[in-house]
Amino acid sequence: MVSLEIDGVSCRYGSTQVLDDLTFSAKEGEFIGILGPNGSGKTTLLRTISRTLKPHVGVVLLDGRDVYEMATREVAKRVAVVPQDSVVAFNFTALDVVLMGRNPHLSMFQLESSRDLLIAREAMELTGTWHLADRPIAEVSGGERQRIIIARALAQKPKMLLLDEPTLHLDVNSQIEVLDLLASLCNDKRLLIMAVFHDFNWSARYCHKIIMLHNRKIVSFGEPEEVLTRENISKVFGVEAFVKHHPITDSLYVIPLLGQMTGEAKKENFRIHLICGGGSGTSLMTKLVRARWSATAGVLNILDTDHETAQMLCVPIVSEAPFSPITTEANEENLKLIQKADAVIVTEFLIGRGNLKNLQAARVALESNIPTILVDNIPIEQRDFTDGEAQRLFKELVAKGGIIVKTHSEAIRTIERLRNPPFT
Amino acid sequence: MNKVREIEYLRRYRRWKYVVVVLSAVLGVGTILSLNVGFAQIPISHIVGILAGEVPILGNVHSSSGFPESERLIITQIRLPRIFAAILVGISLAASGAVFQGIFRNPMADPYVLGVSSGAALGAALAIVLRVGFTFFGIDTVPIMAFIGAAVATFTVYNIARVGARTPVVTLLLSGIAVSIFLSALVSMLQVVAGWELHKLVFWLMGGFSYAKWRDVWAILPLVCVGITLTYLFARDLNILALGEEEAQHLGVDVEKSKKILIVLGSLLTAAAVSISGLIGFVGLIVPHLTRILVGPDHRILIPSSLLTGAIFLVSCDALARVVFLPSELPVGIVTALSGGPFFIYLLRKRKGSYSL
Repeated sequence: MVSLEIDGVSCRYGSTQVLDDLTFSAKEGEFIGILGPNGSGKTTLLRTISRTLKPHVGVVLLDGRDVYEMATREVAKRVAVVPQDSVVAFNFTALDVVLMGRNPHLSMFQLESSRDLLIAREAMELTGTWHLADRPIAEVSGGERQRIIIARALAQKPKMLLLDEPTLHLDVNSQIEVLDLLASLCNDKRLLIMAVFHDFNWSARYCHKIIMLHNRKIVSFGEPEEVLTRENISKVFGVEAFVKHHPITDSLYVIPLLGQMTGEAKKENFRIHLICGGGSGTSLMTKLVRARWSATAGVLNILDTDHETAQMLCVPIVSEAPFSPITTEANEENLKLIQKADAVIVTEFLIGRGNLKNLQAARVALESNIPTILVDNIPIEQRDFTDGEAQRLFKELVAKGGIIVKTHSEAIRTIERLRNPPFT
Repeated sequence: MNKVREIEYLRRYRRWKYVVVVLSAVLGVGTILSLNVGFAQIPISHIVGILAGEVPILGNVHSSSGFPESERLIITQIRLPRIFAAILVGISLAASGAVFQGIFRNPMADPYVLGVSSGAALGAALAIVLRVGFTFFGIDTVPIMAFIGAAVATFTVYNIARVGARTPVVTLLLSGIAVSIFLSALVSMLQVVAGWELHKLVFWLMGGFSYAKWRDVWAILPLVCVGITLTYLFARDLNILALGEEEAQHLGVDVEKSKKILIVLGSLLTAAAVSISGLIGFVGLIVPHLTRILVGPDHRILIPSSLLTGAIFLVSCDALARVVFLPSELPVGIVTALSGGPFFIYLLRKRKGSYSL
């Protein structure tokens, strides 16, 4: 049993405020992730809990006792810390280092007993480092060292484990091993685990709760679904991200897809309508949104890849029921969007009887003197599943002034020219 | 297989005892051989006989009266105190070297790192140049002034480096260097104005045991015993400090307290050594490294073997210093550097792959 209460904690390095009025509590069996951009106070929070940096206001209570009133050794029996990077002076072996984890349990003159050795060995076996026991710690790889330090923390037999980016030096299989180990310590041994993460997805998948820090304060604390929202990520990290529930891992996954928006201000006054489908519009739509064009799209069937992309990017679209032909109503909606557009791009989607109306909509655009770009990187013959009707229509579009381009980049260059015509 | 490995690991405690026994034996033999070295030729058999005569109970059975009085005097009043002084100084310098390298996690650290040496030098130089003539419990002025100088310098450095309740290692090293340079300049200045005392001052600064008396040995013996014993209590803390101060704290070491005590102990040992021998370089820097190559980095064995090795090394160097330029003597500091340097380089080259600092 262990309980941790952080109450109104503020910390300073010199005169610089590094944590500002933090309050939360945690107990055994919880795996709590700490997320936040660089300098948001993640490591400082761990240092405050581990009795390293005394808060100038507020208290850190471990099992109801103020950790700063407890002896170093008493805290070390309950709390183990795995720092981001450990540099060990002199050539101690891995086993020597893990046995140092027994220090808080040994009296001044006591030598390590065979029981201590057994505990160290179990810890090393759990982290898969027992085979490195005799190797000097300076000679093992970063990932091996990280796991040896975790073993040392386990040898302390702590009730609470604090880790600063436990997966930092590990390759992906070791990351999973370590995180699975932490999860099992949490669930089976009922440890309280707090870890700083940089990866949204690992924290979403393994943590029961997440603390999101921003500008030295807690922005959000709760279950991953409550904390890892598009709004929070955008506010704290300044990054647009997709947040979805993943059916295979049964947890959230976050894709910081767009990164920072490129381009200057949003090009509000120039609107592009995409006629696409079957995934042919996805990359173009992403590029457009990222370059801050205002885009619309239609008609797209629900479950179509382009439909999903548009939804994630918040691009206004005209939807149609899954696997259904385009209805007159949907077509009317699409034509309305086209009329509002300054340019139309027709991507290289496959054309059947069901979506022929989309190509016909492009003809309406041309007839309304809206510049229309036709992406022609796959010949129309190969995309035509309408016995030639689509091909006839495509030729008609070209004849009516449709601009043929071979690539998506060329399409974007074309619309840039259309928006800012060069002086001639 | 794994069981075997665990037993093997625990067996090192027994191996540690062997190491201490062997090194002690070497020191014993070295002491007797060293008694044989000098201008007057005294056979080993006489030496053993004279020594046996000095031991209270044995002395009744085996009287040393059979040997010439001059031999007895040379052994008991000249060579023996000198060798004991070398042993104590070797012990102190090597132990404090191990302590300072451990606290600072820095292979360049030595007993003089916190300005101890320049403080002691200044104290001694003042005593020599100003010819201060009082004695304190029968001890000469120079060692007392050296001791006071060393203590004041360390205290100053420690307080300059202190930031609030903490003393970061880097600021300690830097303020140690700064204070050392300042005090060394003062010593140089005293050398300029020393006049007739210059020769004595320079000789003191080079270090040696030529003038070592029993009373010097008795003066520092309690300091060395207490210092070494207390230091050993912190051996495991020193191991854990190798992980860095913050991690040591996470493993239950009261870092600031341990560090403060160890700095006081290391400086005390150094000051004690310097006060009777002057400045002998190299021992405190090299011996802990040499011992670490031989027995590993664990301070629980490193400290006892370092201090024994330091004693052996200094006794041997002193013996060499007495004989290489007979009938005159070399300052022992020159011998420590000339013999220890190449030997250490040899070890370092040979064990290059496996020895990491």
